[in-house]
Amino acid sequence: MNMDPFSFIVAILVYVAVIVFIVGMTFRIIVWVKAPRMQISLGMFPKPKNKFVRFFKILKDSFLFPQAIEVDKWMWIFAILFHLALLVALAGHFRLIKEFTFISNIIGQQNLNTLGAVGGGTVGIIMIFALIYYLLRRFSSPYKEISVPEDFILIILLAAIIGLGDHMRFFGNIHTDEYRKYFVSILLFRPAFPESLVGSPTRWVLSWHVLSVDLFVIYFPFSKLVHAIGTFFANKVRSE
Amino acid sequence: MLEIEKQQALVKILKEKVNKQLLYYLDVCARCAICRDACHQYKTTKDYKYIPAYRAELIRRLYKKYFSVLGRIFPKLYESRAVDDEILLDELYQVTYACTGCRRCMYYCPFSIDTTHILSVAKALLVAAGRENQMLRELADASIMKGENIDMFKDIFISIIKESEPELREKTGDPQAEIPIDKEGAEVLYVALSGMHSIMPAAVILNKAKVNWTLSMFEAANYGYFLGDSARAKKIADRIVEEAKRLKVKEVIITECGHAYRVMNFFYEAWAREKPPFKVTALVDAIYGFIKDGKIQVKSNAVKEIVTYHDPCQVGRNGGFFEEPRYVVSSIAQNFKDLNPNRTKAWCCGGGGGLVAIPELEEFRLKTGKLKADQIKETGAKIIVSPCENCRLQLDSLNIKYELGIEIKSLMEFVADNIVV
Repeated sequence: MNMDPFSFIVAILVYVAVIVFIVGMTFRIIVWVKAPRMQISLGMFPKPKNKFVRFFKILKDSFLFPQAIEVDKWMWIFAILFHLALLVALAGHFRLIKEFTFISNIIGQQNLNTLGAVGGGTVGIIMIFALIYYLLRRFSSPYKEISVPEDFILIILLAAIIGLGDHMRFFGNIHTDEYRKYFVSILLFRPAFPESLVGSPTRWVLSWHVLSVDLFVIYFPFSKLVHAIGTFFANKVRSE
Repeated sequence: MLEIEKQQALVKILKEKVNKQLLYYLDVCARCAICRDACHQYKTTKDYKYIPAYRAELIRRLYKKYFSVLGRIFPKLYESRAVDDEILLDELYQVTYACTGCRRCMYYCPFSIDTTHILSVAKALLVAAGRENQMLRELADASIMKGENIDMFKDIFISIIKESEPELREKTGDPQAEIPIDKEGAEVLYVALSGMHSIMPAAVILNKAKVNWTLSMFEAANYGYFLGDSARAKKIADRIVEEAKRLKVKEVIITECGHAYRVMNFFYEAWAREKPPFKVTALVDAIYGFIKDGKIQVKSNAVKEIVTYHDPCQVGRNGGFFEEPRYVVSSIAQNFKDLNPNRTKAWCCGGGGGLVAIPELEEFRLKTGKLKADQIKETGAKIIVSPCENCRLQLDSLNIKYELGIEIKSLMEFVADNIVV
């Protein structure tokens, strides 16, 4: 056991978070599915001609919501950038399970590391700027008046996750291989730090990063974050 | 404070109104406020209370109080409110009865949140709390009263209609032309509004198209729907459904009235839990069919001035008729010019949702109708055609207030004026 109590609790909280997330989202989706459906379709015209067109319209409305550009260009730009960057950052974290050998075999390990540094760094910065935009927007009228505490809590949590993530990306001499050892140890239910992290101050950054993610994931099913899944359901109603 | 029983009744209504759509809408809204400038009322007043997301937030606060675990544990943090919260109910009244139900915000929302649907729950709660709009309730009750006492009104109604038949004969050039009422065996029941302006032009068109029709004794407008009371709304619609059943018609044509067509074609089924046993057609669609199939002829290029068309929200975005009325107008007008934006993106006239019937909202609807007035000015049109009574009344007001110098016509009027006799 080479972990300090705080880091250990954070690691254990990962399991709690996953369970809460799965149970919470299942509960939420069951509530949605079980709720009575209105007998009439109150979609918006013109409606898609057939199921095939409708399917693609729902995807387009959910992923791109192009009509929003016309009324709120900057919000659309930041929303798209933020979500896209989030997706890239999330995909990058899969390196922590298993190295992307299918890429390093082609371009070499050194180039993959560079790609990770540049790509991860870029999306990390994009997300920070998007969060600053979100926050400034929340603080200005008339958005201030319609915002609720939940909106700020989520921005703070995201800022912590992304800020600490960026810190690990840009500073210190711990790299992917070491983080992978930590991540895999959690996956194997034997949470532990690799030797390199035990004495490094970076472990605090890592633990706070993971703690923020834990809280974010726990909060997910009970907050507006369910829009990640609910958007498809809601946009479907529009096309019916 | 409301009494306990009343509170419980309100919570029960809230529970009954929870359906899939409402849950999606309440759960997914990110309060991104992209809807802000989609709403003509926020855009012209700059009052945050009119941002669609805020209107929905009021209902979300009630919902959280009774249906969300976190909302119950942390009422302060989640701003959940009880149904007896006077401040909330007052605000809810203000933003709910101001909404014209145009659903333009739904078009722009990334999640397609239907704020009008959320506000239909608000209206049901306000009705149950005895805080509904008094004017709309009186109008709805008057309609119901007329339905219950039709024998009292019938003879007067028939005599008024018969008096206008000479005018119809003159207009159609047909000495046999008549306006049939209560005619069993007719194929079509035409439902007009109160006033000859919605009967005469349609009578000309239906006679010229040689339709076997009869005129309904009831008006299409449904103030119960605007009020947000489905029990009253159903009673009002029932008058027409019963009449159609009694006369055994195959089709009911609803006059140019935005919400009336939707009530009969969509909402009635939800209230009555059964489909009405006849086809429901919007007059706009019927006229389009008559011209397209050659059943009536119109004088092409008869109108030389610039003519524009206003998409009533309930006819266009919410009813599905964009090209049909344009086809009709273009077949008469030489210079047709669209408003910008139009069709799905059309601005609400500012008077929908029964606003034109609510005296205390007159100033508000004139102010919020400015966008529509500006749009009309931009086209330089001399005539504006719009197939919705609510819109036309509002356009009349805007015409005076903003000195547009424009002539406002219904589609049937525009057609009847230019029909080949």
